[in-house]
Amino acid sequence: MANNLHIMKFGGTSVATPEARMTAAMRVISAKEKGVNPVVVVSAIGRKGMPYATDTFINLLREIDPNVEPDPRELDLLIACGEILSAVIFAHTLKTLGHPAMAFRGGQAGIRTDGVFGNARIVSINPTALFRCLDQGAIPVVCGFQGTYSEDRSLPGGELTTLGRGGSDTTASALGAAMKADAVEIYTDVDGVKTADPDAVKEAPTLRQVTYDEVAEIAHLGAKVVHPRAAEIAMNYNIPLWVKNTFSDDIGTEIVSRDKFPGRRVTGVTHTGKLVYLQFNLSASEKAHRATLESSIYGTMERYGVQLFMLNVSPASTGFAVPRDQYPIVQDVLDGLVIPVGDADSRVVYVFQLGTATPEVETQVQLLKSLGEVRRINAVLTEGCSMVSLVGHEYMQQPGVFLRALQVLEEEQISVLQTSDSDFSLSVLVPEADTMRTVKLLHQRFGLAEVV
Amino acid sequence: MNQQSVSNSSFSQSQIAETDFEKRRGISHVEVRTGLTQVHVLDLPQPIAKSRINVLQAVAEAGVSLDFLKLTPTGLSFIVVADKTQTISETLGKGGFSNQLDTNRGIVLVHAVNMRDEEGMIATILQRLINSGISIDHASDMHDRILIVTEESQAEKFKSLIEGGALNG
Repeated sequence: MANNLHIMKFGGTSVATPEARMTAAMRVISAKEKGVNPVVVVSAIGRKGMPYATDTFINLLREIDPNVEPDPRELDLLIACGEILSAVIFAHTLKTLGHPAMAFRGGQAGIRTDGVFGNARIVSINPTALFRCLDQGAIPVVCGFQGTYSEDRSLPGGELTTLGRGGSDTTASALGAAMKADAVEIYTDVDGVKTADPDAVKEAPTLRQVTYDEVAEIAHLGAKVVHPRAAEIAMNYNIPLWVKNTFSDDIGTEIVSRDKFPGRRVTGVTHTGKLVYLQFNLSASEKAHRATLESSIYGTMERYGVQLFMLNVSPASTGFAVPRDQYPIVQDVLDGLVIPVGDADSRVVYVFQLGTATPEVETQVQLLKSLGEVRRINAVLTEGCSMVSLVGHEYMQQPGVFLRALQVLEEEQISVLQTSDSDFSLSVLVPEADTMRTVKLLHQRFGLAEVV
Repeated sequence: MNQQSVSNSSFSQSQIAETDFEKRRGISHVEVRTGLTQVHVLDLPQPIAKSRINVLQAVAEAGVSLDFLKLTPTGLSFIVVADKTQTISETLGKGGFSNQLDTNRGIVLVHAVNMRDEEGMIATILQRLINSGISIDHASDMHDRILIVTEESQAEKFKSLIEGGALNG
């Protein structure tokens, strides 16, 4: 085993300003002085809108011509600069405080990925360079979110790749596994994993322990904690994972396996906003044609890479929510989509209509009448929705859980547009304006203020 | 735990071997849970939100746990384990709720890591299921799996399709 090796990952807000970086650097130095061998992983400096944030780099290309899509390979080279800057500045900060440090790109740290630019997955890590750095008494500072892809490993170099959402957490967790670390610590600007978003529930307590699968589900359902990919790696390699606050001495949240902590009945309430819900009414279609129509809908969503939430499939209708920023794509490809079914003698021409018919759809319907019977497939649109989810373990299988959730929302006159559930969660789709109230009500109804 | 400082430590070769990390993209495996009944409660009186609460109250008082609750235009539907079919039938009958029970239902659990970040993956699975002629009663998802309610016989057919590699291409 390595000697008390800790991976310390600092997110965007922890490295955004010189003061924040100094605080983060002091955490690293303090750990080292207590006998820990720290390996630092950093995100890009700052968040959206700040000079060196990922979005700022992307805008450098978009402002040339917003209609020309950047090449994914070039985009990866560009956005990886954010973490490179961050790592170099962090290493230099440590050096100025009297502690030798070396910055590493993902590839230099030995992180190899597959060749999917913008959403690469880590296939292997050879941390030799990081161990050598530690052996020389220096602190390695690794760029999160990136790796190297090479089709032929015998060749030098390789293509720079980025890991997609949650990339820096994933880097930290994977390095923890590769280096057999004693702990992976994810530093952020909150005290740990909370039972709810503090913007909705000010008094939401910090959970002291959660299981890997609980935290993965919480993240999947909208909470900005550890990314599921990072939790999965830590779980597979049984690495203790911590979420801590850079700016406070709170002990944080420890994420462990189920044999160390059995989980709790209800863990928390999460929310994902800015959704548009579409419910396609298939009752106007022939039963024999429904599979073709459903296949067209989902095939189109697949081709355009649309994320689907709150799936609702039944014989007479099919529905789902999509992120609002993806809705224009859905509208472009589905509104007015024409699906002819059957042969020349019995052809039915289906036309999809999203919400109220546009003049273009009306014209299309008139023109298509010469081809056969025209039927509309209407989709009812509900814009401005949020998915609020109750995450728990086993409790979801208890009688009356749905009743308790829906009853409190009905009493408070919050309209529930749809529900969804899985082994670990129960979700309701509500109007966006009611999001925070719904979180607060469910938090209260399920006694989460007392959870620790 | 060894508190030795790094300056006099040496890391062995066994610690620097390359290791596989993240699971491969796509579907890793499929599970089937059988022995379920789908319950459709229809034609509830207005206000429908209140009527749905009344149904859930009756089901909870009968001590029956439900899954896959879905709101439908005139009522709701959900899944119960098959040995509660009789209890549910009696409970709904006693409450005067018109209903339809579909027995022999199964849940197919399609495991695929990190599916939310793989663009279009959920749509891919649904589209290919539909193209295979498998009817879907309901679907939902978790961070590492999608859950699909269908007839038991179709669930096994779907599992065979996956095992034959038909859905990973």
